[in-house]
Amino acid sequence: MIRTFRESSILWGRLMRKMVRVKLLLFFALFQPLLFLLLFSQVFDRLDQLPGFAYDSYLQFLVPSIIALTALNSAFQSGIGMVTDIEDGLLDKFLIAPIRRSSILLGKVMADATRMALQALIIVGVSLIMGARFETGVLGVLMMIVLAACFGIAWAGLSNVIALRTGNGELTMMIGILITFPVLFLSTSFMPSALLPSWLDIVATFNPITYIVEAVRALVNTGWDWNAIGKAFGVTAGLAVVTFTAATAAFRKVIS
Amino acid sequence: MPLIEVSNLVKVYPGGIRAVDDITFTVDRGEVFGFLGPNGAGKTTTIRILVTLLAPTSGTAVVDGIDVTVAPEEVRKRVGYAAQFIGVDDDLTARENLVLQGRLHGLSKTEARRRGDDLLEILQLTAAADRRAGTFSGGMKRRLDLGQALSHDPELLFLDEPTIGLDPPTRRALWVYLRELNARGVTIFLTTQYLEEADALAGRLAIIDEGVIVIEGTPQALKDDLGGDAITVTLAPGDGSQVERVAELIGQYSDAGAARTYDGAVRVFTRDAASRLADVVRTLDSAGIHVARLEVSEPTLDDVFLRHTGGKMRVEEVKPRSRMMFTRKPR
Repeated sequence: MIRTFRESSILWGRLMRKMVRVKLLLFFALFQPLLFLLLFSQVFDRLDQLPGFAYDSYLQFLVPSIIALTALNSAFQSGIGMVTDIEDGLLDKFLIAPIRRSSILLGKVMADATRMALQALIIVGVSLIMGARFETGVLGVLMMIVLAACFGIAWAGLSNVIALRTGNGELTMMIGILITFPVLFLSTSFMPSALLPSWLDIVATFNPITYIVEAVRALVNTGWDWNAIGKAFGVTAGLAVVTFTAATAAFRKVIS
Repeated sequence: MPLIEVSNLVKVYPGGIRAVDDITFTVDRGEVFGFLGPNGAGKTTTIRILVTLLAPTSGTAVVDGIDVTVAPEEVRKRVGYAAQFIGVDDDLTARENLVLQGRLHGLSKTEARRRGDDLLEILQLTAAADRRAGTFSGGMKRRLDLGQALSHDPELLFLDEPTIGLDPPTRRALWVYLRELNARGVTIFLTTQYLEEADALAGRLAIIDEGVIVIEGTPQALKDDLGGDAITVTLAPGDGSQVERVAELIGQYSDAGAARTYDGAVRVFTRDAASRLADVVRTLDSAGIHVARLEVSEPTLDDVFLRHTGGKMRVEEVKPRSRMMFTRKPR
């Protein structure tokens, strides 16, 4: 346990260093979600005047969606990084070291989580400046960040499966975009459940994103909805089990 | 007890390619052992099995008394490995790359830093220590990669074609360093397709071809085995079609099998070159063959290689299946 922690911390340190070092990548990783926040909140600003829209403003409604969207995007960076490490012969360097195989994945997960938490924090900060208010305060924000990071990790498992199976960074990115957008739009991310076409509302109930967005949305707008939070963590855990089982299998296949 | 003991090792990739086909050899402590062979001969496959990155299909590979399939982690602690493809993180500095490897090999932060400084000094990278590896030249990256393999001061170093892509001066500098390393007691197992490299570095070598070790010994013994000196007859330009006839004519003077033919040249190996030379001249003269050049020389490793691999350099490469999906960036 201590050993795994030590090993994965070393690898986490490497990824953090890389993240800070490549200034432009860092800039865009932080800038992209803000761009979405700005664009969506302005374009859909008048939606709050629709009958049946139960939130104070579209911004209030949108912040959780942008947090989720960012986690999804960030997750696909994880898989692309994995392909790069393999192509650059770095995975071999880690495999030849007397460390546990699991530490390699864990270090990566920790780095992904850190990046996602930072991104979520910045979105919260900027939306505060834009006039959003957070009903559950600092603790609520903390909970949102934890939720976003956990969900992002579960999703990163999927991106690593695709990356390891295709062995191609560009392809991973394209598949990522192809999956991310339908998943986002087929949920309650941009429109409240009550205002969705009924078929879409049904689809949305099977979409994991819906549960994450709803839990965060409650934290932003109404208060501690433990039922929603529980569901969100449950869905995340279920998703993580599936994606990480597949990712571990794909990882094993590549290193054997 | 030998440091490396390989018995009846076989590796069959999915798809049925027998990359390594029942090889047996040992490497003693303190040796520089060369594994010489053309592309796709099974060199990399053997090395990857020895460093625990690949599981053998059958047979055993034992490093320092430890079976690589039984306790791979113990093997990893003892060996350093520099792959054919350089594996340095371009975003990190040279120092950071070395410290990272040291830390992953169990050194404390301070130890890893100290070791990193030493290696930078040895590999003459101190001036570039805090530059990102992405800005390095091929030779510098190669040295840094070697440094990573040495980060935990291993007693056994595996080098897979360590000088591929290096310019001649850099290659020679690396040879000097590898000899120093060996003099300090590090056992080196290296693969190469350069004959001069094997000749320059290896105390003992094995020639591997199509997954099979065709011959093993010291470079000198392998050359001696060819049967003395080489007489090479180079035909006049335009007479290239005569090589087969010339080979037939002078083949009788060979002490080591039939004469070998090259592009426009024929070579025989003989124990008594001085008197045989006269015979060769007389025979060719009476047959009316125009000779452009006649040469007596010591056999080279080239000759050994050609003799034992049937003279053809194959270009197709056998890559481990799992890596096949990844096309690595050439560097």
